[in-house]
Amino acid sequence: MMNNINVILARSMVASFPRVATCSKRLTSSLSSEAVRQNHLFDIEQKKQKESVGRIEKIQIEYEGPTDKATLTMNKHISTPFDCAKHLGERIADQSAVALLNNDTLWHMHKPLPDSCKLQFLHYKIPQPTAVNKIFWRSCSFILGAVANAAFKDTVKVQLHSFPSPNVRSGSFVYDVQLDLADWKPTEKELKVLSIEMIKFCQQSHAIEHMNVSTELALDLFRNNTHKYQQIPDIAAHNNGKITLFRAGHHIDISRGPMVTNTNHLGRVTIANVIKLNTDVPGGPIYRFQGVALPKSIMLNHFAFGLLEERARNLNPARIPGSQESFEEDNSFVAQVTA
Amino acid sequence: MNQAEISKLVSQLRVRVNPRLRKLKSAGGPEARLDKLRKTVTALIKHERIELNYPRADESRMYAERLISDAIRYGDCHRETMEMADFWLIEKQLVHKLFKVLAPRFVNYSTAYTRMYTAPSVYPEVVKRAVLELRGNPYPSLVPDMHNNRNLIHNVLLDEAKKAYRTQKYEEIAAKIDAAEKSVSEEARK
Repeated sequence: MMNNINVILARSMVASFPRVATCSKRLTSSLSSEAVRQNHLFDIEQKKQKESVGRIEKIQIEYEGPTDKATLTMNKHISTPFDCAKHLGERIADQSAVALLNNDTLWHMHKPLPDSCKLQFLHYKIPQPTAVNKIFWRSCSFILGAVANAAFKDTVKVQLHSFPSPNVRSGSFVYDVQLDLADWKPTEKELKVLSIEMIKFCQQSHAIEHMNVSTELALDLFRNNTHKYQQIPDIAAHNNGKITLFRAGHHIDISRGPMVTNTNHLGRVTIANVIKLNTDVPGGPIYRFQGVALPKSIMLNHFAFGLLEERARNLNPARIPGSQESFEEDNSFVAQVTA
Repeated sequence: MNQAEISKLVSQLRVRVNPRLRKLKSAGGPEARLDKLRKTVTALIKHERIELNYPRADESRMYAERLISDAIRYGDCHRETMEMADFWLIEKQLVHKLFKVLAPRFVNYSTAYTRMYTAPSVYPEVVKRAVLELRGNPYPSLVPDMHNNRNLIHNVLLDEAKKAYRTQKYEEIAAKIDAAEKSVSEEARK
C-alpha cells in the first residue's frame, strides 16, 4: 500500500534489531553496511573502555529524593546513575530523564560516575523543568536524525548535517539533513509515514548510550559523512580533544549531551514538516526536518496538540547552516542566541 | 399533585452514593459500623487529610459530605443539624470548626467538598488504600500541578503558540488598517 503513496520513503527500514554483536546474519542484512561498521567500532571501543577501568574501587553515592534519602555503595567508573535508580525502584528508573550531581551538574543517566557525589533525579514534572525540557528537545532532534537516516530508500543518498542548539520555545525540534533530491516537498502521507517511523523507533525502547572517544576514532566512525567529518576537529578543539557520542539502537551521532535515558520517554510525536533550506553547503540541497513531541508522562488532548503541530509546520528560526561557521556546541553549530 | 418534590427534601450530594451500604466487617453489627464511620469522619474533619483503606474511605466520604452540606444549608441554629453534628463528631470542639470554619469555606463551592485518591499499597499487602481529604486544606497538593506551572514543556509550547498566533492576527489587523487608509487617501486625491 505504501508503495503507491510514496516513492522515496522505505517503509520497512526501521525494524527492531537487537545489538549487532548478538544478532543473527539474517537481521543484520537489512542494516546498511555503514551502520554495521560504525556499531562494530563502537562496540569494540566500549569494551576497551570497560576493560581499562582496572581494579574496581568503591564510591559512596548519596541519593536525595523528594521524600527519602539513601546512601549507595557503587563502582567507580562503572556504575551509572541509572544503576543507582534501579536500586531505588523501578518507578524512579523509568521516570528519571537525567541525573543531577552535587546540585549543579546535569549528568547523562548511562554515563559512569567518576567519584563520590550527591545524586538527584530529574523528571518532566518537577517545579522547574526548563533544563529537562531542553534535554528532552535535544534527544528528540537526535532521534529525528536516526529516523531521517533510516527512513529513505537506498536510492536516496542521506547525509546528516547537524542540529542546532535545542530551543523549546521555537515550537519544533530540528535536524538538518542533506538529501540528493532536487526539490522535494513531502506530502501529508509521507510526513505521516515519517512520524510513524519515529513512533516505532521510540517504542522499541532503546537505551541511549553515551561514550567519550578520541578524535581519531570519531573521524574513522564518520569517514563516510563529509559534514560530520569536517565538524569533528572543531568540536574536539572545544572539548579537550574528546568527542562525545550517543547511540540509540544502531544510530550513532555526535552531541554534547546529556540526553534522556531511553527512547521510550517520547510519548506523542509528530514530524510536522520538511523544508528545503537556502544554503551554500556543498554536495546537495539541505532539508530541515521539523517535529514536535511530548514526554510520555505528559498527556495533552488532541486539539491542543493539533495547535502545536500546526505551529511546528512553520520554518524553525534556528540558524541555517552555511559553508562557513563555527561549530562550538555538540554536533551543532551554535546559534548565536541560545535560549 | 400535592406530593413534595423528593429531590429537595435532602441535600443532593456531589459524590456518588452507593446504592448498598458496606458492612465494613463490624463484629458488633450496624452500631459498630457507625462507630467506625464516626471515628473516620471525626478524623477527616480534624486532620483534613487521612490515608486509610479504600472501602472505609469511600463509605465515610458520603457521611462527611452530607454533614458539611447540612451545615451549610441550615446553619448552627437548626436543632436537627446540631444533633447530627453532635453524633458524627466525637471530639466536640470540632462542632465549632464545622460551622465556623468549614461551612464558610465551602459555601460557594460548586464541587464536592472532599477529594479522594487511590493510594499505592506496599507489595505484600494487597488491600486497596485511599487518601481522603477536605478541599482547600493547607497541605501541599498530592498530584503535580500540571496547569499552573507554566514551565512544563506542554505549557511552554502552548504559550509560545498563543503568542505566535496573536502576532499573526495583529499583523493581519495592521495590514487591513493600512489598506483602508490607503483607499481613503486615494479618494481624497481624486
